[in-house]
Amino acid sequence: MTTSRWFEALAGTGINFVAGVPCSYLAPFFAACESLPPTALLRATREDHAVAACAGAWLGGRSPLAVMQNSGLGYCLETLSSLHILYRMPLPMLVSDRGAASDFEEHRFLGQRARALLDLFEIPWREGAPGEEASLARWLVAAAREARCPAVLLVGREEAP
Amino acid sequence: MNRSDAIRICLACLAADDIVVASDGAISREVYAVLDRPRTFYMLGSMGQVGSIALGLAMTRFERVIALDGDGNFLMGTGGAAMIGGVKPANLYHLVLDNGVYGTTGGQPTLSRQVDLAALALGVGYRWARRCFSDMHAPGAVEQWLAARGPAFLALAIDEPEERPAPRIPLTPETMATRLRAALEEG
Repeated sequence: MTTSRWFEALAGTGINFVAGVPCSYLAPFFAACESLPPTALLRATREDHAVAACAGAWLGGRSPLAVMQNSGLGYCLETLSSLHILYRMPLPMLVSDRGAASDFEEHRFLGQRARALLDLFEIPWREGAPGEEASLARWLVAAAREARCPAVLLVGREEAP
Repeated sequence: MNRSDAIRICLACLAADDIVVASDGAISREVYAVLDRPRTFYMLGSMGQVGSIALGLAMTRFERVIALDGDGNFLMGTGGAAMIGGVKPANLYHLVLDNGVYGTTGGQPTLSRQVDLAALALGVGYRWARRCFSDMHAPGAVEQWLAARGPAFLALAIDEPEERPAPRIPLTPETMATRLRAALEEG
């Protein structure tokens, strides 16, 4: 049984391949992913490998989604730059928004620069808002598809509904 | 045997519907120079991701997916190799053209002479892995590799330098991606 609003919303957009590295903020989402068929879920070893596998799945005809903590954006930058952006491949990304002043200190430095990093790399992004999962999921998939590049939803801690 | 010889041996064994992912740098250029086809994806950057891209294709397609990798590239992407070994796609075939150096950047040594690449592949879960150091046995090794159940790994030792590097590929990256996706959509 699905217990993640983000999972329900994104599955409703036609996403049919998910690759990612977990974040505790997205634990309900990752739990829901376990219901996916084996060829639609990749438990990635690192975020750059997740986005590269998404590129392969897109070439294979799927609609992929990459999921990660914002710390993983750092690992992804070269692959996003010289694969998805260079070849114009769409990639919706669900990224946890770590690094607030109340968060653990190891999340703060990169987390507080994640928005600037996305702007610098010209990656469209929006902040997740509870209750607006369906419309934001549609925005995410449409933004990536129309611009043919990565697009990011930055989301806070997901509580099981 | 040089890199072109090894690429020619491998490409001669391809079936028409095989999907090829060629790693960035000299390997993509050589593959393009020997045999261009819509079902080949040429990487220009994102070093270390050959196996991961091939895995995404192998999980979503029924055709064989052939990853043409270099030793430096493979060693950079060992986390991706672990994903392949964990997922175990039976249609994924991984070839490392093992010249022991970063060829595209001027021939600086990699760690491939100190690391047992085939043991690494077996250790992370590939079903079949061999390393071939003999030119004479290379064609037979390629045949055995492609006859094995995937994920199957083969490293071919490259001991002769190229006479001159192949030219850059005259396709736009967008064309390379869209024509492969279109070829696969057609069946």
